[in-house]
Amino acid sequence: MAEIVLSHRAALAGVATGRFGAAFDSSRSLTLTALPEGHVLHLLAAPGAVPHAGAITAAGGGTLRAYAPGQWFVVGDERLTASQKAEIAGRLAGVADVVDTSHGRVRMALSGAAVERVLAKGTAVDLAPSAFPVGRSATTLVGHISVQITRTGEQSFELMVLRGFAESLWDELIGMAREFGVEAVGPA
Amino acid sequence: MASLITCPHCGPRPKEEFSIRSDASLTRPAPDADAETWHAYVYLRDNSRGRHREYWHHAAGCRRWLVVERDTQTHVVHSVTDAADATRTRGAA
Repeated sequence: MAEIVLSHRAALAGVATGRFGAAFDSSRSLTLTALPEGHVLHLLAAPGAVPHAGAITAAGGGTLRAYAPGQWFVVGDERLTASQKAEIAGRLAGVADVVDTSHGRVRMALSGAAVERVLAKGTAVDLAPSAFPVGRSATTLVGHISVQITRTGEQSFELMVLRGFAESLWDELIGMAREFGVEAVGPA
Repeated sequence: MASLITCPHCGPRPKEEFSIRSDASLTRPAPDADAETWHAYVYLRDNSRGRHREYWHHAAGCRRWLVVERDTQTHVVHSVTDAADATRTRGAA
């Protein structure tokens, strides 16, 4: 029997890239970027425990995304080795359980002056800076796709989605951004 | 139906993120209750106009079960609480 060699393929490899819609104008157009498939750790607090977000961040070492009561994601651009993951789990022992979902979730970034108006086509969550400041994260629907939206900057958001939906969301975001012009940059 | 439900964990969210399960005001009968009682519990509903207490699941959000109190006539949402808290409060009462 032939030996099967598994090779890693980025979820967004082969997606549509380039410029779409209205003529690109850096003052209003959007940029959609595939983020590196680094790590996504799902943290679940022990029942009854109310872990301090600061303590979680310190132990997790990455960037925290609030997911649900007692649940967070720690995300980052670097791939973690098994020993690095075990170390994080060790630091969080008794506080939260750590489940590695790096293989299952894909992140992309959408930025530009009209980014809130584009995302508002997909979700009714109030994304105004006053209600949704930098660092705020929300699990919601964009169309029919479940997405974790995080504001990473004044005019930039990160969208995290289950791997199988990554390409659909990518195409949907390009469609939503066409009226302002959008440049899509695929995985490196 | 109100189009925004204020989830106690997530804030105001569109109703599309939720799925409605059932009446939250029912009390499960004892296991050995007679067939008539069970039939009433499982099947019989008044479907009245006005205030309703229901279990809602924030399926596309925090995935918590909530108890939503709303009015089917005026569309006013009176309260939204986490189902676990609602049960605790009822248990204490």
